[in-house]
Amino acid sequence: MNVLSLLGRNLRHGPYTEPFPFGPAPTAERFRGRVVFDATTCEGCKICERVCPAGAIKFSKTKDGLAFALWHNSCVFCGNCEFHCPTGSVHQTTDWHLAHAQARKYALVELGLLPNQICSACGATALATAPSLRGVTPPLSPEETVTLKSMCPKCRAKFLKARRAKP
Amino acid sequence: MPTDLLILVSVLIFPGGLFAFSLGLMLKGVDRRVAARLQGRVGPPLLQPAFDLIKLGFKRTMVPDSAAPGVFLAAPLIGTVAMLLAVALVPIAGVYTPDPRLGNLLVLLYLLSVPGVALMLAGSASGSPFGAVGFSREMALMLAYEATIVLVVAAVGLRTGLAEGGVVTFSLAEIVRHQQEHGAYLLDPLMWPALGAFLFFYPANLGIVPFDIPEAETEILEGPLLEYSGPALALFKVMSALKTVVVLSLGIALFCPIAPHGIAGLAVWLASMVVLLAVGISAVRVSIGRMRIDQAFSFFLKWPLLLAAASLTVVVVV
Amino acid sequence: MLLARNLKQIAARSPWLYRINSGSCNGCDVELATTACIPRYDVERLGCQYCGSPRHADIVLITGPLNRRVKNAVLRLWEEIPDPKVTVAVGVCPISGGIFRESYAVCAPVDQYLPIDVNVPGCPPRPQAIIEGVAQAIEIWRTRL
Repeated sequence: MNVLSLLGRNLRHGPYTEPFPFGPAPTAERFRGRVVFDATTCEGCKICERVCPAGAIKFSKTKDGLAFALWHNSCVFCGNCEFHCPTGSVHQTTDWHLAHAQARKYALVELGLLPNQICSACGATALATAPSLRGVTPPLSPEETVTLKSMCPKCRAKFLKARRAKP
Repeated sequence: MPTDLLILVSVLIFPGGLFAFSLGLMLKGVDRRVAARLQGRVGPPLLQPAFDLIKLGFKRTMVPDSAAPGVFLAAPLIGTVAMLLAVALVPIAGVYTPDPRLGNLLVLLYLLSVPGVALMLAGSASGSPFGAVGFSREMALMLAYEATIVLVVAAVGLRTGLAEGGVVTFSLAEIVRHQQEHGAYLLDPLMWPALGAFLFFYPANLGIVPFDIPEAETEILEGPLLEYSGPALALFKVMSALKTVVVLSLGIALFCPIAPHGIAGLAVWLASMVVLLAVGISAVRVSIGRMRIDQAFSFFLKWPLLLAAASLTVVVVV
Repeated sequence: MLLARNLKQIAARSPWLYRINSGSCNGCDVELATTACIPRYDVERLGCQYCGSPRHADIVLITGPLNRRVKNAVLRLWEEIPDPKVTVAVGVCPISGGIFRESYAVCAPVDQYLPIDVNVPGCPPRPQAIIEGVAQAIEIWRTRL
């Protein structure tokens, strides 16, 4: 008789169906959907490429800088990249509207570019990435960060060595 | 001549043919809708079975290499035509009385078993192992439920015949008229065993859930219908819709043909069809699961047969 | 002409779905089952119905990365489906191989062998995403009738 009371309850309550294809669908706040990439905060450490189980993320060196590419058709939405990213540049949104026609298959890519720049100290070409030297004591001042950002890795190392040597 | 014309009309337009076809499709739509509501879903539009038929009309009919093409394509036609004729044999109380020349209850019984035979033909002619399994299951199930319906019909016929002062009658028109004058068999405690047996018979004949073993979707992939596509499959869908109309209206005619004359009678008949469908098919279909063929077989040879035999004995003795 | 076009518009409201599991982990298959079996999603509203036989199918949903063992069976099954039909790849496995890409046992992506029309990425895609993909497939199917 449990079945009958269940049927009666269903009839009284009416359909439980979401209006989805004809209306909005509720999405959980922490839903792991489409991955977005923010090139301005990325350091180029490539840890996301290393931890991606599906091999969806690829960094490639181009003459303009370091290019980031993530193919949503390969991504398994595991969230490893977001978890391991030291600067929070890789982020999963709640967007799940990824169904697409075959013609758009290879266009469904998240792209980003970490541009090259000329080092302000030695003039060599290097990536313009923001340093995140959290363990440095005393902490970097904003002016020092800007200076460091305009340098190549070798000049940065020299700068930090000089800073440590200071009394 | 006019009576011949009337017979033609009753087979092709009302209540057979066009009317029964659209009614059957509508009943199927109501069934899917009610079942969805009982499960807490919205369900498809009411006209969904009609959409399905039109869609199937645009698809290709494929005949498998291993099939016997003649029988394979003729099977749905045989079943559909039999059902078309059967609809015209069932009276609607106060609205329609079939011409005695069309046939009586016995003809109807034979016609009712034709769709089962058509399914068997389809299953065996398709050359697919699933079709063969469906064929054997359909045959076993038919053997099980045919005895019940024959006994039920005999009990109803005998009771009417004895009350009318004669011998057993197999004229549905007379059974309906008798009930209109002396009250429906639904309220007659002597006929309740027969009613019970009929309630077990019709899900088996219609192939709905506890007894949809020959066409079990999830285990033998719709069995005999597996290899059908396009218009041939559409014919099977039409057959099943017509069969719903025939069996439900047979139930109404045998046990509760009380209705006023004219349009009101038709409305009462339609309403009772829908109620019977919603309670007797949709609700049953969503609340219980499918039996195994051996369970169904032994079940039918036990309870419904016992009930039917009991009702026949009661009618003879009292 | 007009009648035929109207009939085709009506016919497009009855797409029957057929699932092919080409070596999937069953994650996507479970999500497909939820679209039909869980009242919250109810794909039957669109007129869809999961059918057991490839002969009845209109929209084919392929899950799984097309294992080497199952490849020929899948291709044969796909041929058995009467035209017109629309093929949908559900999950990242049939689209790109996903996590199994470049494995010796896997022939992904499926579109090397079958003409795929709609892709629904996800691992697995959520039921609403599948319904969205099916809706797109219906639009394509409408033009093919």
